[in-house]
Amino acid sequence: MSVEIKLSRSNRIYRPNEPVEGKIVTKLSSSISHQGIRLKVNASVNLQVRGGSAGVIESFYGVIKPITILNKTVEVLKSGRISSGSTEIPFSFWLKDPGEKPLEKFYETYHGGDISIQYLVSVDISRGYLHKSLSATMEFIIESEKGLENLPEKPISPEMVIFYMTQDTQRHSLLPELKSGGFRVSGKMCTLCSLSDPIEGELTIESSAVPIQSIDIHLLRLESILVGEKIATESSLIQTTQIADGDVCRGMTLPIYIILPRLLTCPSIFAGPFSIEFKVTLVITFQSEQSKVHSKSNFKTLKSWHAAESIPLELIRTK
Amino acid sequence: MELKFRHRDYKSEEQVHSLHRVAAVTHPLSLQSPSRDQVDVTDYGRDEFFDPLRGDHGKPEDSMKGLGRTSTEIAGEPYRDIAIHFLGKEWTSYKKVLMQKFPVSKMISISSLSSSIMKTGKGPEKPSTDVHLEELDEEGVNYITLQEYVSRLTELKDEISRAWHASDRVTSFNLSIKVAKLLSDTSVLQFYPTLFVLATEILDMLGDMVWERIRQKAEYTEYGTLVHLPDNFQATHICAEAKETCYNWFCKVGSIRELLPRIYLELAIYHCWRFLSEQPANNLPRLVMMARGIADPLASFYCRLYLAHCAQKLPQRDIGLLIISMNDMKILLMNGAHVSSTKKPSGALSGTRSSKLGLMEPAIEYVMKCLFKESCELLQIGDILMGLGLARNQSELFGNSSCVSLVLHHLLRELPIRIVCSNALDILHLIECSNDYSFDQCLNYKLLGLRLCENISHVNEVNLVMKKVIQVVSQFNSLDEYLNVVDAHVDIALQKHMNSYLDSILDGIFERTLDDEIGENELSSLQSILLKILNHFDNLENILRLNHFNQILSVMQGSSRTIVNTQILSIATRNSCVRDPTTIQFLFEVSRSLHDSINLSTIKEKENNHSAHLVSHFIHMVDYDSEVELHLDFLVQCRGAFGSMSEVKEMIVHSSNLLVVKATRNDISDVIFVKSCIACSEVTISSIPSHLKQLNLYLETAEVALMAGLVSNSDGLVDSALRCLHNVDLFEGSRMPKDIDGFQSTLCKFCSLIVMIPGNIERGVTSIPRNMFSILSSLSWMLPSMKAKMLCALILTVAALSQNNLLYHATHDEVMGNDSLFYCDQQYLQELSSFSAVLLQSLIDTVVQEPIQAARGNLALDACNAIASSFGVCQGASDFSSKLVETAKLSLSSNNKYLQSTIEFLNNRGLVQRGET
Repeated sequence: MSVEIKLSRSNRIYRPNEPVEGKIVTKLSSSISHQGIRLKVNASVNLQVRGGSAGVIESFYGVIKPITILNKTVEVLKSGRISSGSTEIPFSFWLKDPGEKPLEKFYETYHGGDISIQYLVSVDISRGYLHKSLSATMEFIIESEKGLENLPEKPISPEMVIFYMTQDTQRHSLLPELKSGGFRVSGKMCTLCSLSDPIEGELTIESSAVPIQSIDIHLLRLESILVGEKIATESSLIQTTQIADGDVCRGMTLPIYIILPRLLTCPSIFAGPFSIEFKVTLVITFQSEQSKVHSKSNFKTLKSWHAAESIPLELIRTK
Repeated sequence: MELKFRHRDYKSEEQVHSLHRVAAVTHPLSLQSPSRDQVDVTDYGRDEFFDPLRGDHGKPEDSMKGLGRTSTEIAGEPYRDIAIHFLGKEWTSYKKVLMQKFPVSKMISISSLSSSIMKTGKGPEKPSTDVHLEELDEEGVNYITLQEYVSRLTELKDEISRAWHASDRVTSFNLSIKVAKLLSDTSVLQFYPTLFVLATEILDMLGDMVWERIRQKAEYTEYGTLVHLPDNFQATHICAEAKETCYNWFCKVGSIRELLPRIYLELAIYHCWRFLSEQPANNLPRLVMMARGIADPLASFYCRLYLAHCAQKLPQRDIGLLIISMNDMKILLMNGAHVSSTKKPSGALSGTRSSKLGLMEPAIEYVMKCLFKESCELLQIGDILMGLGLARNQSELFGNSSCVSLVLHHLLRELPIRIVCSNALDILHLIECSNDYSFDQCLNYKLLGLRLCENISHVNEVNLVMKKVIQVVSQFNSLDEYLNVVDAHVDIALQKHMNSYLDSILDGIFERTLDDEIGENELSSLQSILLKILNHFDNLENILRLNHFNQILSVMQGSSRTIVNTQILSIATRNSCVRDPTTIQFLFEVSRSLHDSINLSTIKEKENNHSAHLVSHFIHMVDYDSEVELHLDFLVQCRGAFGSMSEVKEMIVHSSNLLVVKATRNDISDVIFVKSCIACSEVTISSIPSHLKQLNLYLETAEVALMAGLVSNSDGLVDSALRCLHNVDLFEGSRMPKDIDGFQSTLCKFCSLIVMIPGNIERGVTSIPRNMFSILSSLSWMLPSMKAKMLCALILTVAALSQNNLLYHATHDEVMGNDSLFYCDQQYLQELSSFSAVLLQSLIDTVVQEPIQAARGNLALDACNAIASSFGVCQGASDFSSKLVETAKLSLSSNNKYLQSTIEFLNNRGLVQRGET
């Protein structure tokens, strides 16, 4: 005896101005009677503040009340019977009813560290007090409407930032041989990026006295939550992409090309109670005796054999 | 019993039986024009020494091309011949060759990274922290057997395919990443090409599975109906869901942290871009650039190889990315010192560096091949050369000055021949400027020469080119390098008749042979050069006139020397007699060296036979004209020198016999000379192992002696022949007799010789045939059929001896025939008659012994014919004939034609009464 929701699109992506369609599929060993089949649609921004982040008072630790985007119930069938075997019950609902004013903006789906934005639909087949009701839940994904006028046209004008890294641009302490030998890395990278496009840029090792072990690009999210009067900001790693493995040739341009992972990224948001931003940190690991021992690099704590450069990244949804 | 010999009048018989003769207007053999004869002869000569599979391409440049590219020639350069005829062949065959080129030892050293991947096959996967700790523990190198490694890879492949078909595509994807990660471990060195082949096979399999899955999705429309997807589909025709799946795969690949597996996996599924974009090749330049991030040169070179391979799965070709790849590799090679210095301290590098370069070379080779695969247009080649930084513009294809020599090498191999020919001088300059550690400069000079030889007639400014080459090689001190380059270019000098260059080449070789050691490489180059010269001139006098030819030849040894010697002999003796004493002396030395080399290698029977044949042919062709004494001296010298060549000794006997004939003909009646010739023959014959050959030669010499009037010598030789006959055994241990016909004709010849030999009264006038008869009777291996035929021959001989006027006589005046010696001597005739009675009786006994019925019948008829020809009407002859006819009738059917005609003949001869039949 089971029930499940099948959405019309295999990627489960819908836009706020589109109807969400699908089927409720029941598989029953014998026919049952029910008192109505209802869909509950629930969308919210869930926030949490973790201990340890600077400036947050211990007492605020924990889950903060989620921000509801949408909460509605749709009746699919009135009471009746469902026969045994497999039965498909089609449904369709709008997120936005024509006259209705939404509680909140329909933010895009986002699965982050401290913040997550989720759209859930659950089915409930109630069978009276004697029987347990059958239910199932399914997440669907919301992306901004393509028809919205405020979305920029593709291709967006490339906003590139040019950067240089030398031993003098580093704010942490460096190995003495790095300090004395010196290095110079130049490159450019886009700072405004469409979610459907990769992050693009390039990088050149112009010189380096110390051989390079690896060059990695960390994609980071910065999640800020308003707690009382304070803002708790946490940065965490989404994805690391290595662009150089070993002591690469000097003067050769290496491409930066990072496909943005779905769900883990969304358009940068600056809302009142929370904000979601992104940035890219470029970390060069130099070969040294010590780096061999600590082979895994942590993007947060830069060691003396690292050199890093952070570049803010604004993500947008384009047409 | 009475036997009466038939009287013969040979002269009148000839007149009766011979046909009427008419003078012919033309000579029957002169129908063919002389020139055509010539062609046939030379063609025959060529075929004998060149590969017959080459068919009718008899042109010299073709043959040189063949020589230039044989594997023995380039054995010194490793894997130079990888897939020479690759173009148009499959990737699979390329992989096979690649694996064969780098054979792997049983143990493979691997880094801790790959060892952790290897280990996961056994038991449950360890938590990642453990693996991490292990990695730290295992400092340095681990070892694993080849078998383990390969079986683990096969296991991984099976797991990937199993997981895929169980719809667990995430697992198969993750396992594929592991496989790709193995490629970042270059510490396996010699195993790397094999690893590359095995790993890319797995990745290609994944790529095909992904492609197939998306294709299936694309073949369903949004309404669930099936449509056929044509091979040349457009991305716009692909439904959204298929595109979505496809894009997801690229997203998944994009999320791989490590660079190398990310590149390999994107390449593996790269052809799936066709579902997404109308210009699927657009992302390739990015991947080419990404490969720059792989610092390990070996790994990054093979990555580019795979890239070139994957790019070919797309319908469009893009030479741009291949050029970038090639240029990146060039830069890496130029920075070679920098790259390797980070790995190990310099100094001990030279060895590992060259072996690593060898491992990297297939990537350059493959990319270069792809680059020139379909680029035949001059304009496009100009683009390529400009892209590679060689050309200044479309008209100055090699204007810029240098290139990494390894890259240059592969460029030279792939360049269309007309480009090479029309820019030879510039290319020479380019080679001169490109001298670095990555490749031996002289091999590039060599390659250029070989390429130019492909089409010498189209080489521009050939004189300047050769001048330059000579100038370059004159700087070389090493004989090996000198020979390498000269070998490749000598054909040009030969074909363009640049005699001064040829002279300076030979001078150069000679100078360098004086103080350089001559090893295998040098020998094979020398061999090749000398053969080219020999084949070009095709005339020994011209060759001997060349500077130092003789000296250069004398420094050679071993099989190369033998091959050159063989060729010299065959050229020298092909068409005309050898008359010049210095030439004879030279060829004698050549032959001697050939003969001596045989003692060292007695195994190759066929080659030895060929050498012996050549030497004996040379002896045959030697002609001292009237200086017969010098000729004899030469033969004696030969006898001493070529002791182990039986065929040569036979030729010496023939030649010395020929000298006797010559001497007698020219009335040089110097008995001492003739005697020494015959002595020479006699001594030589006794050292020939085969009795049958001895027998023949003794007979020949006996006849010659008889011709020269030396009856006693002749008698001695006949005695020797009889001794030989005694020892002949055609079976020689085997079950089937060899050469029965040859033996029988030898005996017939012997019989015909007997007719000329004057009978010796002291020993008995029939002593020779009687001896022969008794020896033949004593030979246990003689078959009845053979013996019967010999007896017939003897009967005919005796009958011939009985004539008042013999059929023929010895030519020498002083030798009397038996007809003169015993004219109407009754005792003599009696002796003949009694001997023939013995023969006839023996004949009848022998015929009956023949086990096969039909053969017995035929033998009996043969005997009847012999009797009918030999004897007149007499009781004895009639009796024997009747008996034989009876035997034949029992064995053959009455309408047998031979039987009928024999009876007819007997009737006519009056030996059998008509009533009897």
